Amino acid sequence: MAPHIQDMPPEGGYQKIIFERIPAKSYFGGYAMIAGYLGITAGACYLFYLNKRKVTREEIEARSAKIAIHPLLLAERDREFLKQLRRNRDEEEKLMANVDGWEVGTYKGEPIYKTIPKDKFIDPMYNEYYAHSSYWDWAKRAHLKFWT
Amino acid sequence: MVVTKDMYLPTEEELTVEEVPLSSAPLRAGAFHYGKFCENENNEFMLCRNELNDPRKCINEGKAVTACAMTFFRNVKNLCEKEFVQYSNCLDKSSQNFDFEKCRNTQAVLDKCMADKMNIERPEYGYYCRPKVHATSRPKPEPEKPAVYPDATPYLPDDAPRTKANYGSRLYWFN
Repeated sequence: MAPHIQDMPPEGGYQKIIFERIPAKSYFGGYAMIAGYLGITAGACYLFYLNKRKVTREEIEARSAKIAIHPLLLAERDREFLKQLRRNRDEEEKLMANVDGWEVGTYKGEPIYKTIPKDKFIDPMYNEYYAHSSYWDWAKRAHLKFWT
Repeated sequence: MVVTKDMYLPTEEELTVEEVPLSSAPLRAGAFHYGKFCENENNEFMLCRNELNDPRKCINEGKAVTACAMTFFRNVKNLCEKEFVQYSNCLDKSSQNFDFEKCRNTQAVLDKCMADKMNIERPEYGYYCRPKVHATSRPKPEPEKPAVYPDATPYLPDDAPRTKANYGSRLYWFN
């Protein structure tokens, strides 16, 4: 039978049990943090400024191109618009031919605008402009802002 | 519709001219040079259109604009077709909104061709965003006169007695 060997503490005793609070190592103090925040914000502001300047520049260039081409598009649009007005008027005349006392553009002779000269041009509402077209053409115009 | 028989509308024949058969990309590619080439027609038309605010009265100016645009794009087709198509193709396919930023190289090629063969310089940055002064021979439209109503209440004659109000001033908070 082997002799008993008593378990003893290591030489110099056990390690001390650490029970004090050990705070995390702090890299920055409060002033450094505030300075860092201000520095990073200033840098970001500068980058934002550069980016915004570029975007504005591009926007102005795109707008210039639109303005340059606008008369051409508007001239074409005006012609087609007037053609369509005539088509609408003819269509209304044909449609209401059998109604007694109907006058085109008025409700049985009562005009919509009374105090303006008869030949003055007023843009019709789009609902009236699209009155003789299909529903989908009307809807495209009416819901224009949902798609652009 | 509000358009009555009394209203003058131009006929279909008066309004039919040859339109510019181009899509967005080529129009945008040629915009700056076109604006310079047709500057007079464009300004005349826009002035007419904004002053009179009536599409019927600016038909001829509009036709001049379209005719000028046709001339311009025909010239481009004759002289700089390759460069122009290359540039508009680049605009069309480089971004979703025809960004000019993406196509500076092809733009430089087109600018050079335009300057050499058609003698049109690209106007400086922001040129079209500035207001322009345009000299025109068209007379200035008369400003609208204030409306006169036959049954309006007549004014008091100047010599009518102006006595004190019976119950004090209506502007009682002034007094």
